[in-house]
Amino acid sequence: MKSMNLRALYMGAAAAALMATSISATAQEVGAGTKYGDMTTVSQDMLNRAEGDGNNFLHTNGNYDQTRYYPNSQINTGNVGKLRPAWMFQTEVTESLETSPIVVNGIMYVTTSFNHVYALNARTGEEIWHFKHKIGPVATYCCGPNNRGVAAYGDMVYMGTLDSKLLALDAKTGKLIWEQQIADPELGYSETMAPTAVNGKILIGTNGGEYGIRGFVKAYDAKTGQLLWTFNTTPEDSTGVWATKDATGRDMLRDIEAEKAALAAQGDPYKTLGGGVWQNPAVDLETNRIYFLAGNPSPDLDGSLRPGDNLYTNSLISVDLETGKYVCHFQYIAHDVWDLDAVSPAILTTVADKDGKMVKGVLHGGKTGHVYVHKADDCSLIRFSEAMVPQENMWVLPTKEGARMLPGANGGVEWSPMTVDESKGLVYAINLHQPMTYHVESSPYPSGKLWLGGAFKVIATEEQWGNVTAVDYNTGKVRWQVKTAQPMIGGIMATAGGLTFTGEGNGYFKAYDSGTGALLWKFQAGAGVNAPPSSYTVDGQQYVVVGAGGNAQLKFKRGNSIIAFTLAD
Amino acid sequence: MKLKFFAAAALIGLAVSPGSAQETIEDKAKPCAACHGEDGIPKMPEVPNIWGQHTGYLYIQLKDFKSKSRASEIMNPIADQLEKADMLALAQYFEEKPWPSTGYRSEAADVIKGDTIDTAGMCSSCHLGTFFGDSVIPRLAGQTQVYLERILIAFKTRERANNADKSSLMETFADEDLKTMSRYLAGL
Repeated sequence: MKSMNLRALYMGAAAAALMATSISATAQEVGAGTKYGDMTTVSQDMLNRAEGDGNNFLHTNGNYDQTRYYPNSQINTGNVGKLRPAWMFQTEVTESLETSPIVVNGIMYVTTSFNHVYALNARTGEEIWHFKHKIGPVATYCCGPNNRGVAAYGDMVYMGTLDSKLLALDAKTGKLIWEQQIADPELGYSETMAPTAVNGKILIGTNGGEYGIRGFVKAYDAKTGQLLWTFNTTPEDSTGVWATKDATGRDMLRDIEAEKAALAAQGDPYKTLGGGVWQNPAVDLETNRIYFLAGNPSPDLDGSLRPGDNLYTNSLISVDLETGKYVCHFQYIAHDVWDLDAVSPAILTTVADKDGKMVKGVLHGGKTGHVYVHKADDCSLIRFSEAMVPQENMWVLPTKEGARMLPGANGGVEWSPMTVDESKGLVYAINLHQPMTYHVESSPYPSGKLWLGGAFKVIATEEQWGNVTAVDYNTGKVRWQVKTAQPMIGGIMATAGGLTFTGEGNGYFKAYDSGTGALLWKFQAGAGVNAPPSSYTVDGQQYVVVGAGGNAQLKFKRGNSIIAFTLAD
Repeated sequence: MKLKFFAAAALIGLAVSPGSAQETIEDKAKPCAACHGEDGIPKMPEVPNIWGQHTGYLYIQLKDFKSKSRASEIMNPIADQLEKADMLALAQYFEEKPWPSTGYRSEAADVIKGDTIDTAGMCSSCHLGTFFGDSVIPRLAGQTQVYLERILIAFKTRERANNADKSSLMETFADEDLKTMSRYLAGL
């Protein structure tokens, strides 16, 4: 009966045409809250100062610049060998785990696949509350039922859901305060990214580039859930400049005349052109602008139905935080037919421009295997790094029988966030090497179903592996690189202790010397460590925490653990 | 095969009635048992198990049967009588039933080969590691082997035409690989 009521609620929500709804907490399964810790507020000032906050981990990617650099050095190159598990918490969901733990005054918030949220005592791992979202009858998502975490703001935590909702929960109790239907899941919209909280707004993008959605970033009022603005990642004129070369100057073998004829016959494809946004925007508080990446055009492999550059797919985009108005963009691959898109989140830092002058810059790690370095003011490209993975046969066009090209469609750098150690001028990326063939076959828009326009196929007889790569973003040169046994997906974090932490699909969680790439510590977690690590400090003790739940996309062993590490006495 | 379906349908008088206000979901679902089984075990091996299958998947299939984007001489006229609310209610009714065991056991060679096929086709990216699926992605683990084989081949030949990308993917595999996959999945 309860379940039937929830179905009715779902139907009602769809009919209410994106109206915010105040929901009774009785409609959800919520554990009892306790009086643990200080769960009062996350102020805007705290969020602004997160970069220098050695106690909390307040943003998905550490701070608004998204450097994922943790400023505490208690755990460092000299003592990391003594790092031991402090506690392990097992969620009730054994499936792909991509959460970035958020820590506020000793309370940790983590999410799991299928939209569970847990509040934990960050010192002991004890559960404080557990919220389980009742997903509607239709949830259409790519690459696993993932969720990448919450945003904490004021006295609430926020989560996007697989059935395309934005939820606001009471941070103290986990009770649902409000929910907002973001878009129609039956048309392929879903949310897996963590929201971003800033200046009274909750920002969230959408997945669905594999389903013919029209991508967007939306801003909601943090208190009420009211929609404030929408930026569509595919403008009504998505034609662009008919670019024939990618960001690195390689010819993409486009048939421009055929595309122009198709455009005249079919019109602009913007309504079903994809351009999903998978990861948090970087926020520049000085200019009041945000920077984010838009993913592949739909259908992924079939360009015949979407003539033109397919703006702003596969692009770095900047918009005004207050209004959502376009500021600038840079497109890496116009008219992409390989799904070698832009997924990993943007990072703001200071970079050397072409004349060696230090300017505000934006970094992005592409599925192509390059780190791209941009000027923040106009999004223009300053340089791109050496390729971090093998590139072969670029840009051969997909065929019906399948064309082999490297990288495979998972990258390079997938959605995994990079990290920056500004003291070293290095950005650290994790990469995949997963050879694939690209098969194209045209089919019409399937109204919310998978719409790849063909198929990707892993070449099972070829070796797969990964690497951790440090790139000097002021020169584009690879400083060091460590090969891993399996393709890498999840995330990475650098610390003031001179360490870089990242996990692997085989269960190893490792710490490297940020300067040299020397492996200094490792721990076998028993399931794939394919989530971004965080760090925090409670009672003067620094911890590093990471999820070990494996990954659906790369078939890594599933688990359900959140593991916190600290130095042995 | 189709004749056998028709015979069963005609015998039992398959139809989901448009329904009166008093009609319960059990009443509406009753005719389905003629093929899909009263205890969740399909009456004919070519028929899929729908007990415990996901609401989203069953709903989308009913919708496609109604629009005839998924062609079936049996299911098209049945779905034609259903409105969205009926489809969702029926789909949820069957999801809440327990998934029945067919007792099928895979040969060791099929398990090894099936796992390789999964890697190549990235099947478990969507159907998940257990092949239990979720929402609009069907559970394949423990589905009837004959149905699985029939439907994988039907995607390849495009006899089943309501998911073009599945057809593109199946086309990259030899028939024998698809048969192996059906034997692997049926035993999970």
